[in-house]
Amino acid sequence: MSQTLDPRAAAHVSEVAVSVELQTPGMTINIGPQHPSTHGVLRLVAELDGERIVNVEPVIGYMHRGYEKLSEVRTYPQITALVNRIDWVSGFANEIPLIVAVERLMEIEVPERAQSIRLILTELARISNHLVFLSSYPLELGASTPLMYALREREHVLELIEGVTGGRFHPNFNRIGGVKPAAGGGSTQKMVTQDLPKGFLEETRGTMNRMREICDDLDTLVSGNEIFLARTKDVAIVPPDRALAYGVSGPNLRASGVAFDLRKHEDYLPYHKHDFEVVTGERGDCFDRYHVRLEEVRQAARIVGQAIDDIPSGPLQAKVPRVIKVPKGETYVRAENPKGEMGYYLVSDGGRIPYRLKIRSASFSNLSILPWALKGLIVPDIIALLGSLDFVLGDVDR
Amino acid sequence: MTTNPPEETDATEEVFEAAAADHVAAFAERVAGIVESGDWSAAFGNAKVRIDRSRWVEAVTAVRDGAGLDFFSFLSAIDWSNEVAVGEPLAETVEERYEVLVRLSNGRNNDAVTLSTEIPKDDARLPTLVGVFEGANWHEREAAEMFGIRFEGHPNPGKLYLTDEFEGFPLRKSYPLVSREVKPWPGMVDVEDMPSTENPEAGSGGVEEQLPGNAEGVSADGAPPTEDRVEEDDS
Repeated sequence: MSQTLDPRAAAHVSEVAVSVELQTPGMTINIGPQHPSTHGVLRLVAELDGERIVNVEPVIGYMHRGYEKLSEVRTYPQITALVNRIDWVSGFANEIPLIVAVERLMEIEVPERAQSIRLILTELARISNHLVFLSSYPLELGASTPLMYALREREHVLELIEGVTGGRFHPNFNRIGGVKPAAGGGSTQKMVTQDLPKGFLEETRGTMNRMREICDDLDTLVSGNEIFLARTKDVAIVPPDRALAYGVSGPNLRASGVAFDLRKHEDYLPYHKHDFEVVTGERGDCFDRYHVRLEEVRQAARIVGQAIDDIPSGPLQAKVPRVIKVPKGETYVRAENPKGEMGYYLVSDGGRIPYRLKIRSASFSNLSILPWALKGLIVPDIIALLGSLDFVLGDVDR
Repeated sequence: MTTNPPEETDATEEVFEAAAADHVAAFAERVAGIVESGDWSAAFGNAKVRIDRSRWVEAVTAVRDGAGLDFFSFLSAIDWSNEVAVGEPLAETVEERYEVLVRLSNGRNNDAVTLSTEIPKDDARLPTLVGVFEGANWHEREAAEMFGIRFEGHPNPGKLYLTDEFEGFPLRKSYPLVSREVKPWPGMVDVEDMPSTENPEAGSGGVEEQLPGNAEGVSADGAPPTEDRVEEDDS
């Protein structure tokens, strides 16, 4: 075709193309609060220039339940039931930093077996959380098959959690100074004959071995998919210094190349006994955020495998007074939750209810980087970034 | 079933704990040196340094750069109040004030510090930290609507969680919890002795039997309330 064109005419056409700029009026569109890609009731007010994003302003608070205020009228054992519901995808993990904060102020030494059980269940909660991510994220980008595989495996993990705690999502299993004896396990005051359900260790070992296979399956299914790569590679890159300044934590921070994992730095649970790697990404794009979580499932399965191999025997509960009164003091305990740094700043006046309980949830800070990270990208990238941040609105709004 | 760990393990753990406590105290002292504040504490693993309000932004910047604390954990406040509409009042009289807390940590190791400043209730304002940490943006908006603290120079000072029409500042101690005002909560528990417990003081197993409380503070088996029994005073 081009050979038949008069060269002068071709030059003329290209000049015209340069001089006519495509004009699109600015447009503000509203995404949510009820939209499948927003993981709950999140509203985004997006200012667009054609397909380009000028600014996105998240509107949150639809799930605000005021847990910090509600904690000020509840005794410490009652707050445990409340905090399960902050991040309901990994309910068990929410309890840990609160319980450890109370135990730190009361100077309680928790028995080793109870700590080990806490650790196993926290890692199972992490696996369950990440499997939800690994099923929903490809789905949002158009791949529906991984959902079936990941959710099927997650069901096995939830069954394990339910077997020990009695709850799939809201275990309310931790007690100040230890953990609840399992159903049929008898009173903690007497010699405990059975605390974990029969066959739990063998079943967990089997599920963890299978977890490595399912990770390989998901890797094969998703990680090489052309469409998935096009939607996630080099999309919404978050550099490490921005991530830190925004308080982005957990897998999102590690995807940006910062090898920060509170399991290695803090001593809230005996992670020092276990051998595992902190998985990091290189670029901090959506693909890295996905891949870090996939690898973390493998590492968590590794930790659980080690923990059930050398689970110590002994009591489940330390000696605590019947009325929990926490001595006057302040402390901040943070833990590496599946979604990032979760912490409680606890101020006690010596009474049985906290004077102030500040809840630092991971998703709140993780989501706050959204306006910065989306500037200049295109509309489909909103879905790619939102999904890759793995937030839960209950954890954002508290 | 119960096997006691060897003595050496206990001793080693104590040494580790003491070393950790020393580390927290040393770090608090170092940060206090950076911000030239003599008012610091290190208790329960929490290094805390108090800063004068006039030097707030300057001091937080100095800690970020001087101590390498580049991770913004959270910003929040405490309402120190002698009269409370919810919860239990303080045991001792305190000076009426708001205390603003900022938690910073290092993204590579376990260094972390809580910086705090005190602001009077009749002049509740503080310069914004958004220029130092972008992450402070949402946290300050939350503290502003919950405590009524004005963060001067904030780029987007609108409400975060609450609706624009919302009146009052919910996390202030003077703000009532309306549902509790209307109907006292039946879940405020009474703590009972286990039937088998002979020594009520020991609480040997630490079992908490939570039964529905009753207004008279009389336990379900009709026993009179004991000293440490939870009173029903929370409505």
